[in-house]
Amino acid sequence: MNRRTTGTEDRRELQMARSMCWHCQSEMAGEYFCDRCVKVQPVSKDLDYFTCFGLPRRLAIDPQTLETKFYELSRAFHPDFYQNKSDAEQTISLDNSAMLNTAYRTLRDPIQRAEYLLDLEAGSVKEIRTTPPADLFEEILELQDTLDEFRASDRASHNASTLRTKLQADRATLEQRQQDMEAQLQQLFGRWDALQDRGEATEQTRAERASILKSMRDLLSNRTYVKNIVNDLVETIA
Amino acid sequence: MAYSEKVVDHFNNPRNMGSFKKEEDGVGTGIVGAPECGDVMKLQIKVENETIVDAKFKTFGCGSAIASSSLATEWLKGKTVEEAGRIKNTDIVQELNLPPVKIHCSVLAEDAIKAALADYQKKADPK
Repeated sequence: MNRRTTGTEDRRELQMARSMCWHCQSEMAGEYFCDRCVKVQPVSKDLDYFTCFGLPRRLAIDPQTLETKFYELSRAFHPDFYQNKSDAEQTISLDNSAMLNTAYRTLRDPIQRAEYLLDLEAGSVKEIRTTPPADLFEEILELQDTLDEFRASDRASHNASTLRTKLQADRATLEQRQQDMEAQLQQLFGRWDALQDRGEATEQTRAERASILKSMRDLLSNRTYVKNIVNDLVETIA
Repeated sequence: MAYSEKVVDHFNNPRNMGSFKKEEDGVGTGIVGAPECGDVMKLQIKVENETIVDAKFKTFGCGSAIASSSLATEWLKGKTVEEAGRIKNTDIVQELNLPPVKIHCSVLAEDAIKAALADYQKKADPK
């Protein structure tokens, strides 16, 4: 786990796998390249994606900043620029580029970013069971019933068109639910960021962090649930 | 991984599928689900004199989830409310030979029993 205190002045954006250059064995002072022999350096496998882009663990990220940084690092590591270099350098260039692409894809999407943050901060999102609201399950149970009936019905019949209308309405309700959950998530993201910005480490902030993470996990999991059901619904009535 | 014979049997011939009216006297309803796998399960009991005289279920999910809830309704019938509360997910796992990846289905069934019992008690003794 890479838990660094915020506010470290000389914080490196990319943490290197070794503090020594793999090629000339000199002490690493440069960032991605050795100062002395100018060879590219492998990015540490334990590096988290936020640190990779020189970002704090906040959930609001300016897409422009992220993109700019991504292009800058992409150019630095791009395999095209290593075609005439040694095998070792080509491998490093490939590995670093792959890592960078995954990191960018993950952080670009707000939901994936939050899920990733949860992974970092509180273990896997899937590990802990959540307790979604009972009324959600009732709604979904009813919907599944209707879906079954619709699948079994003759598509040209009057009954099928009644069911289709009902399903359209259910779809709107569920999509509204999903949007509500996304709005709640946004609020939680804001609270998390505010807490990160304060950077305190008191008992109280720890408890608050844990409670935000738990709520976030519940909401994320319920949102995925609803989203999958909506997809299923859309596929069925298509 | 193949389903055990018992799971397949419950899946092909589910026992006690259906529902009671929720408002009916003595009926307890438990609706539970697992967002991770998308399963949703409804289990209902009908109680007379503290004994479960009938049970029904409706499950949308994988074969193991259907078998777990089907088996649960079979076991519930004839039990007292108190006995029903002692049914454990591990009993279901054993009876159905559920593999480790399907244990959560039995947990879901136990949760559904608990929820149905709680609903029954709430209705019988509203505070």
